[in-house]
Amino acid sequence: MIDFVNKPVARLILVGLPALALQTTFFAEVKIFGVVLQIMLALSIAAGLAGGSENGALAGFVFGLMFDLVLTSPLGLSALVYGAAGWGAGYLHSRALENPKWLNALVVGLMSGLATFVLPIVANWIGVEGWLSSRLTKVTIVVSLSNALFSFLVVPVARWSLAIRRNQRLAPPAEVFL
Amino acid sequence: MPVYSVSRRRAIALLALTSILLITLDIQGNSVVRGLRGVFSTIFEPVQSSARVITRPLENSWRGITNYGELEAENQRLQDQLDQQEGAFIAALATARDAQELLALNGIDNLADISSVTAQVIGGTPSNYSQTIEINQGSDRGLRVGMPVVNAAGLVGRITWVDNDRSLVLLANDSLYAIPVQVVNQPNIVPATTTTTTTTTSTTTTSTTTTSTTTTLPVVPPVSAVADPNGITTTTQSMTTTTVDLSTVDFGALAPTTTGVIVTIAPGTTAGGPTTTLNLDDLPIAETGIFRGRGIDNAPVVEFIDQNSRFGEVQVGALVFTSGGSQSLAPRGIVVGRVIKIVERTGTSGAVLEVRLTAKLTSLNFVRVLLYQPVATGAP
Repeated sequence: MIDFVNKPVARLILVGLPALALQTTFFAEVKIFGVVLQIMLALSIAAGLAGGSENGALAGFVFGLMFDLVLTSPLGLSALVYGAAGWGAGYLHSRALENPKWLNALVVGLMSGLATFVLPIVANWIGVEGWLSSRLTKVTIVVSLSNALFSFLVVPVARWSLAIRRNQRLAPPAEVFL
Repeated sequence: MPVYSVSRRRAIALLALTSILLITLDIQGNSVVRGLRGVFSTIFEPVQSSARVITRPLENSWRGITNYGELEAENQRLQDQLDQQEGAFIAALATARDAQELLALNGIDNLADISSVTAQVIGGTPSNYSQTIEINQGSDRGLRVGMPVVNAAGLVGRITWVDNDRSLVLLANDSLYAIPVQVVNQPNIVPATTTTTTTTTSTTTTSTTTTSTTTTLPVVPPVSAVADPNGITTTTQSMTTTTVDLSTVDFGALAPTTTGVIVTIAPGTTAGGPTTTLNLDDLPIAETGIFRGRGIDNAPVVEFIDQNSRFGEVQVGALVFTSGGSQSLAPRGIVVGRVIKIVERTGTSGAVLEVRLTAKLTSLNFVRVLLYQPVATGAP
């Protein structure tokens, strides 16, 4: 049982379920300027920062898929965009030799904004209309800022969920040695 | 500069392709995808319920802090509205009752005959794009996917996913929502007045004289023929017309099926009072179209309007009702909203009507699910 819980996929699900519950209850009701904050997206990007681009893509896919399963939008849409966001965050992380918390917050904020902006564009591309509107700017800004603040909480959570040990965290990204 | 191995690239490409495959399957309505949602819901439901219990006090505190002033002002405004509408409601009840009798006589589906389940809204949409709410009734109470959801103001949406004791409602302003509707121009509202027009025709054996007099007189018997001793027959035709505010009449339910008949709608509670006659030939015939949501920021629209020569131009303020039909997911006669803007398009595509919903979808608390299923899918 302990071995199972220590596996990254199991931990991702263990973290993802309560995070999704929080997203569909608390954050669905508590809106900032009418915008729903996106904790699942923040977690996906944080996973990229914590574990590199591959882990970020995997975590983004898992968290996005879980989110899709409770939404009415096409299944796989959030998985695709969140996976790409996690991969992008991991890529940006690999470009820096060290990652102070303020830089993590900046990357989470930037990638959150980008993903929030891209999601309705992809949706429109596959035939879901009505998501692209003037409100998108406000949504993008609010989600970016809120996720930048969330980064102080979600990056450590993502490290735990990907079972990244302290010595691994302090070492340069794995991609450098490949 | 990171260097990726072939296996890593493949893994990332595989995730992307899996996402695209899932999107494709879901858009095509694959049953496996529906099953997957059902299984996940079963697993997720206990976690979500626990989270709801834990976070409810926090949500209430947040609402109390952020919305107190707004709620106080709204409460005052609603109290004023309530006072104004109390009188109108009593008059509307009588009209509604008569309309229901007419619908029953003509064998038309009547909203009052459809069983319904009242549900409380327990959750909002967790996304910034899709418009859904969660309600606390499910298949245990007879709810099925596709059933229409309404509140006192009008159409709210339809059930899009059902569990045993909760359901997900796709709101009418979501871009995935569409339903056939009727659009009926609202007649000009004229203050209640009584005008009597009297036409007198005089005929003699030698010559014919037609005199038309229009005057305002007290109400006279409808038609009378008087035989004059001098051989002059005088026919007096009187028509009494009472003009009333027709905005409360459900034209959508009446107009298309009952034509060429004079229908008398009389307030039953006022014995001996004035009788209002509505000649349905004079009423506008409803145009049909497809109502479609366009997201939270854009007004919903009615498209593909089937232009009817008798109806003429659609006007701003026209009423929008569900049209019903054997394949429509909603029965006829549910109020949807009013036309607020008409966007003309060139060619044969016709105009697009922007609609303001009568139901306020941003502040739903209790809703009613109509246990209605179209004939095509096997009505209950």
